[in-house]
Amino acid sequence: MTTDSIALPFPATRPATRIWPKGLAGHLVMVLLSALSLFPLYWMVISSLRPANAMFETSLWPATATLANYRYTLRAIPVAQMLGNTVVVSTCVTLIQLLTAILAAYAFTRWRFRGEKLAYSLVALTWLVPLQVVMIPNFLLVADTGLLDSLTALVIPHFASALAVMMMTQAMRAFPGELIDAARVDGSSDWGVLWRVIVPNLGPTLASLAILIFISTWNEYFWPLLLSRSPENTMIQIGIQMFMTAEGNQWGPLMAASTMASLPILALYVVLQRQVIQSFMRSGLR
Amino acid sequence: MINRRSVIAGLAASPLLARTAQAGLAPLTLDAPVEINFYNYNLATAGLGADATRKMIREFMEANPKVKVNGIGANAAGFIGRVQADLAARRQVDLVQVIFADLDFAVHNLGAKALEDIVPSAEMAANFQGIAPNGLRLGMLNGKTYGLAYTFSTPVLFYNANIFRSAGLDPENPPRTWAAVKQAALAIKAKTGKTGLATGILGASAYDWLFQGVIRSNGGEIITRDRKHMAFAEAPSVEAVTMLRDLNDTGAMDNLDTVGGMDSMAAGDVGMYLNTSAVQGALVAGAKDKYELRATTMPRFGDKPVRPNNSGSALVILSNDPIRQRAAWELMKSLTSKRGYTIITSEIGYLPLRTDIVDDPAYLGD
Repeated sequence: MTTDSIALPFPATRPATRIWPKGLAGHLVMVLLSALSLFPLYWMVISSLRPANAMFETSLWPATATLANYRYTLRAIPVAQMLGNTVVVSTCVTLIQLLTAILAAYAFTRWRFRGEKLAYSLVALTWLVPLQVVMIPNFLLVADTGLLDSLTALVIPHFASALAVMMMTQAMRAFPGELIDAARVDGSSDWGVLWRVIVPNLGPTLASLAILIFISTWNEYFWPLLLSRSPENTMIQIGIQMFMTAEGNQWGPLMAASTMASLPILALYVVLQRQVIQSFMRSGLR
Repeated sequence: MINRRSVIAGLAASPLLARTAQAGLAPLTLDAPVEINFYNYNLATAGLGADATRKMIREFMEANPKVKVNGIGANAAGFIGRVQADLAARRQVDLVQVIFADLDFAVHNLGAKALEDIVPSAEMAANFQGIAPNGLRLGMLNGKTYGLAYTFSTPVLFYNANIFRSAGLDPENPPRTWAAVKQAALAIKAKTGKTGLATGILGASAYDWLFQGVIRSNGGEIITRDRKHMAFAEAPSVEAVTMLRDLNDTGAMDNLDTVGGMDSMAAGDVGMYLNTSAVQGALVAGAKDKYELRATTMPRFGDKPVRPNNSGSALVILSNDPIRQRAAWELMKSLTSKRGYTIITSEIGYLPLRTDIVDDPAYLGD
């Protein structure tokens, strides 16, 4: 008896049928992590809706939701003015730091001068100096100039940032030299090269840096705490802290103030989601 | 070299100083407008404390149109740091609200002024009439009055009457001694599963005055009365700490920090909570329509009398300028007047140091 061999159209050992769609496990992990990330925000919002005697309940939705905490918060502190101050300070610091970073980065990238590396190293080293170290000298300087309790004082010490200079320098070093040479041949000055050739082509980097600076300034706490003398001249983070007292924390109003303080940044995340993620990736999750 | 005496002598010739009863004293009246800075930690908060403080400042300025008061809020936790920073920046710091624990620091490091050195003795004595003598002593150091007690609170053992009933305890007869507290706390833990006792004594945000009250109630001291020797390692103090450790080791007391204990008590998860009477408002808000909140005195050791330390703050003048000192003293008098203590008690929740206003219908009566 002979047996003909049969050519099988498929390999003898087929891979097991995939029960889970490809990538499902990864997505499950991401969904779980997203839920973990979002839960504190959710808890903040629903806590802001709880009355004082239900503040420590663990139900996922308050039995009696109320806007009383928001009404109280708006009455107790000038929320709108504090938010306005925070927007003004964050915007000014962002624009000014971008400007100083662009100018410094151009100098470090395009000009060769004595002590160039030393100057760059010194700028980089300032990144390692914590705010607390320079806080008092800066405070004395601001006090001497009579700017205490003003928004100007919250902006001036943040005119330049080592992180911004370094990020911009790296971006400009990667910029194609041929384009700059071509602009030079066309007779462009340094100023023209910078603003007409380089800056228009560094959009993503500038956007990332702007987002980083804005969020970092928005969350600033110690500097406004030291400089502010009145609720009308301070930032929203100080307003939130005002609900923490020796006589007990007012969690409901504190959560209402936190929710209101988070809304502009949340809106920024929603609108510029991709750029925000890129900005954190570029800066190495600062 | 110009010394302080010659400066004051020069100022005394100024028409601004209407009358000066004694050399070195602040002028008796203010004939020209003056602006002073009042550093206050209630102003750095949102709510009743800040509202009441602004109200008192507003009423003072209405009654004293020549004085403008800038109320400057500074967070209680970093209050002294803020004052130091402003002094370093050569800012005018005239009147400050200092917690009693910082009074020594204010005297020896911030240049606090003794009232005896800047206020005529007769005027000072007249103003002190009606203030509880023990309250006055709180602001004294080395025989002089550097601070005038402003806000004042005392340790209270809050308890949850509902938990007491569930644990088979009688809420009409709360524990009076530490031994009884331990028994009650263990019963609560065993029968309800809730925390028996929490206090503000332990943890990162612990209150030193509360701890001192426990030590002193057992006849011990942290530091000797003459402030020259530490006494916390002597037998009565050690016994008191051993008692606290036993509460912890047996599970009668949970090692919660001050805020954690307060929030757990407000949530109805703690049977008893020892802390300042000033947190009553926060606890009442949490207990509303949920459970019956009651309070009793701080526990004692056996038959020994309980010796609770109080918490709170004093008003201290730091200003070097006689005119500003007078303005600060006038504000200090207003804040500690019958009207001032009425607002402090009824709107912030601290205890009045002028006890005669309690039954006076013009103030706290009715």
